[in-house]
Amino acid sequence: MARMLCIPALALAAVLEAATLRPAMAGEFSASLRSHGLVRQTASAGPLAQAHARYDGIAADQPSEGAAQLQLQGRMQWAGLQWHADVLAQAQRPEGGPRHTQAAVLEAYAAGQAGAWQWTAGRKVVGWDVGYGFRPNDLVQQEQRRALVSQPLQGRPVLMAEEFGAETAWSLVAVNPTTGRDATGAGEGALAARWYQRLGSADAYAFARWGRRTQGSVGAAGSWVASDALELHVSLRHLARFDAWEDSSAQPAALALASPWRPVLRQGAQQALVGGTWTNADQVSVLLEAWWDGTAPSRTHWRQWAERNAALQRLGVAGAPPIAVAANLAWQTQAFSASPSLHRQNLFARLAWTTGPWESALDMLYHPADGGRLYTASLAWKGDRLRLEGGLRASAGPGTAVVRQLPVQRQAYVQAVWVLD
Amino acid sequence: MSLALGMNPTRLMGLVVAALTVPALAQDADALLRDADRYRTGADNLQVDTLVQALASDGTLDKERRYTVFAQADRRTLVLMQSAAEKGQKVLMLGDDFWLLMPSSQRPMRITPMQKLLGDASTGDIATMRWSGDYSATLVGVEPCVDASVPTGTAASTQASSPASCYHLQLQATRKGVTYQRIELWLGQQRHEPVRAQLYVQSDKLAKQALFEVDKALSSVSAMVLIDQLGKQKQTRIRYLARKERTVPVEWLNPMFLARSPVLE
Repeated sequence: MARMLCIPALALAAVLEAATLRPAMAGEFSASLRSHGLVRQTASAGPLAQAHARYDGIAADQPSEGAAQLQLQGRMQWAGLQWHADVLAQAQRPEGGPRHTQAAVLEAYAAGQAGAWQWTAGRKVVGWDVGYGFRPNDLVQQEQRRALVSQPLQGRPVLMAEEFGAETAWSLVAVNPTTGRDATGAGEGALAARWYQRLGSADAYAFARWGRRTQGSVGAAGSWVASDALELHVSLRHLARFDAWEDSSAQPAALALASPWRPVLRQGAQQALVGGTWTNADQVSVLLEAWWDGTAPSRTHWRQWAERNAALQRLGVAGAPPIAVAANLAWQTQAFSASPSLHRQNLFARLAWTTGPWESALDMLYHPADGGRLYTASLAWKGDRLRLEGGLRASAGPGTAVVRQLPVQRQAYVQAVWVLD
Repeated sequence: MSLALGMNPTRLMGLVVAALTVPALAQDADALLRDADRYRTGADNLQVDTLVQALASDGTLDKERRYTVFAQADRRTLVLMQSAAEKGQKVLMLGDDFWLLMPSSQRPMRITPMQKLLGDASTGDIATMRWSGDYSATLVGVEPCVDASVPTGTAASTQASSPASCYHLQLQATRKGVTYQRIELWLGQQRHEPVRAQLYVQSDKLAKQALFEVDKALSSVSAMVLIDQLGKQKQTRIRYLARKERTVPVEWLNPMFLARSPVLE
């Protein structure tokens, strides 16, 4: 771990120098430096472990890694417009692999006003919806939720117009306007709209989206402060079509020559989330959420997936070429990234406690369909400019649960974030 | 009557005077509160630049934060965090409704009054510039200003400059979103400036003691020292660096507008 976190002294010095130099222009600038180490323990069960057992090195494991990032943000007013830029330079070193560096523009946009409407053009993070563990109506950014190590988000290319009243707001967004028809997921070209209305102690939202491939979807959400200590939220969405992955194998026991997993466009699905947060005066907070993700694989899908795993194993025992069996088993792991949720039914609980500069949290994602559980624990210390954090994530539940088949079963991380200015 | 006749004459006279004067003073309790508010605000729509210093138990500076507070009429307040460690964070308060905006999420989050209370100097402490309208005031009486329960050396300059006698007001919250349910407030008897206060949360626990510092011109409160009563008597000093009258555009008080990360200076 120490070796992974080690960054050549010259590079670090250059990064620090760049971060502390103030650009010679008027405006507002800030910089932060973050570093993390992430240790992953690969599974001894599941299709990838079985593939490695048949043919070692058939597929790449997710390696442990160390990374250092410098984030620079700036904004200024010029020519009657507001200009924002947010860039990230990163040096990353996977365990056993070469170090690689890259730079990315997280945000770069101009914003202005035309009559009653405010417009934005460029790359921008546009986050919508009300949930914590799952956000069905995050129609533009489509942020990956519950990441173990928090990372800065990279915005989407947008053309956006917004109108604000005292208690209402309209947002109209063209996202990924230049991408082709084949783009999928968050990269798909789409038009999205959000309407907001404040209703006293509640916020109400309505959403609509038209994707070039996935066509229409509509949604609604609300957040209500029910008492001094309790907040409740709900979010619903209906999709006309959605992107998914499908196993095109002719039959469970057939060996494929290439990955049988194909992207498909499925018809009609619903997503729903309900949850609440309770906080007391001792800074203890409890978050409970339950959600249904109709775009996730069904129980039948996972049963068929498990049957194919077993069939492939039997082929290996029967004398089929180890490399073919191993490759087919490794391809089975593509099912894990078929949807943001592994299962359609999900329960999530999070207990957090803040005392002085210390923040601790324990959360659990539970899948009623197979009893699988994902536990995450974290502890953070927050100083004036420095934040130190560490945590663990582990899968639990019956051996047949989907989370117990994941290629990584345990992860640990440490992260330091230093705000420079 | 037989009980009254049994009292010594001096005490009886005191009761008679109190009975005659307290109702008259009670009519003035709300006026006293408005006078005290003038030391903290001075206008309906304000921009206040604030410096919050959290002190360790040995009195050394633990951390320092800067805030810009836009306190507008009708209990509408926007707090911008200005320190590097919190840059981009905002808290919007519209009456009893609160939102937190984090620069990393770009989504306004509804927060409960309890979440607003958290921290050494809670957002409520920083943003609350008026008591009138949020509390009903009752005059308890005239008492010495200096609080004997405050340890020697605590906010010494504040204690030393306190007037000799104070009006003691009891403030009871008249709406649910306020940071403190009950406040015991002492105002200078001559000028009605805030001198000190005891701040009680919903459970009627004493959460903090507050000591107020008035500027040399005796026209406004220049600082407030908060002494935590639930934990380790930690002190937080809130200094009001600058106040100016400012009415902000109506969209600044819309949480969806604030999520755009606009330049608000």
